[in-house]
Amino acid sequence: MNPVVSDETLNAFVDGELDVAESEALIARMREDKELAQRVCSLRSLQSMVRLAYIEPPVARGRQASSVPRRQFFQRCALGCLVVLAGLGGWAMRGLDSPPALAARPTTMPDGYQAVSLAQKADPNRVMLHLDSAAPDKMRAVLDQAEKLLDEAEREGRAMQLEVIANSRGIQLMRAGHSPYGERMAQMKQRHANLQWVACGQSIARFATEGQKVELLPTTRTAPTAIGEIVTRLQQGWTYVRV
Amino acid sequence: MISRFLFGPFRPSVEALRPVLYRIAYAWCHDAALADDLVQETLSKAWTRRSQLREEVALKAWTVAIMNHCWLDHLRSRRDFDDIEDWQDELESSADTPEVSCNRDQVIACVRSAVARLPLGQRQVLTLVDLEEFGYAEVAGILNIPVGTVMSRLSRARTGLRDLLDTAMQQPKAQPLLRRVK
Repeated sequence: MNPVVSDETLNAFVDGELDVAESEALIARMREDKELAQRVCSLRSLQSMVRLAYIEPPVARGRQASSVPRRQFFQRCALGCLVVLAGLGGWAMRGLDSPPALAARPTTMPDGYQAVSLAQKADPNRVMLHLDSAAPDKMRAVLDQAEKLLDEAEREGRAMQLEVIANSRGIQLMRAGHSPYGERMAQMKQRHANLQWVACGQSIARFATEGQKVELLPTTRTAPTAIGEIVTRLQQGWTYVRV
Repeated sequence: MISRFLFGPFRPSVEALRPVLYRIAYAWCHDAALADDLVQETLSKAWTRRSQLREEVALKAWTVAIMNHCWLDHLRSRRDFDDIEDWQDELESSADTPEVSCNRDQVIACVRSAVARLPLGQRQVLTLVDLEEFGYAEVAGILNIPVGTVMSRLSRARTGLRDLLDTAMQQPKAQPLLRRVK
């Protein structure tokens, strides 16, 4: 319906160069168009990164020697601010399309677990379960929850997508030969086509540097990083549950 | 020379711009000593040309425009190019690639070196807009280019910067920087 907004226009918007009517029209569009909001968000965080990179430019050596320690201090502060601001910028922008940015509403979520979603109402049909520990009870809990959620959805006739994301020691659950639940997981995967086992690539690499070769169960998919996967899914409207 | 600076309201107001000018100069050349020289030269030129300044409010933009001339003069003298227009879109500084800096885990250095790798014209527009929040029309006036060019350069600069940073951020994944400490 609407033509694609050009990069030039978005830049002008971010820099406050558009007039009020144009800006308002864009803001209205961003509420509906997640991708557009995403582009604006990335432009803004880029801008704050550039700004912070030059907050305290290095002083010419030998000319104002006294301010050198101060400079380092400022650089560290700036680095801290950069990290915080980049994060805040991102979250603040999310606020545009969903006023209460973090609506933790465990509508259909299992008791004792908190669901996090960027949407106003947590989506019960797209859920991530995050496991980062190899504790036996946690491993069992994640499988129990996954099964419970999927069965429930099946009974109610909802098409549900579910991802179990493992990183750190949680990888153990998905390692062939190490997982205590290999068979159960294979059966679950067979019964529910929309169930995904996702292992964090970075954690696998870390195991590798410790001299452990990680072989995953055949139905497992690898994501570059678990955090990246979680953030992407959250942005796509998924609900996040840490087990 | 110095005593001449002491008179009139011009001196304090233009002197107050020193940090602003230095930041911009540094973002353009990424060389502290050169940036310092550029600022010095700009301030003395601003002083000698102070009669050309029409409105006091435009002081900052006017001074930055002078610095742009100083910077281009410097580049001309350093390189045997007759026409800067030709390499306005090409010149990259010889700074480290962002990947190299990121491995040293310095985000600021990483952004700076990515900015340094942008073509000169794009780098100037980006830094003027982002660091000093000049309007597009002001930037067009300072650099003496059309507003349309400001917009297209800025857009390309940000796209380029994001690509450079994306590559730089992805690099460490192959070799994790964080190691488990037991």
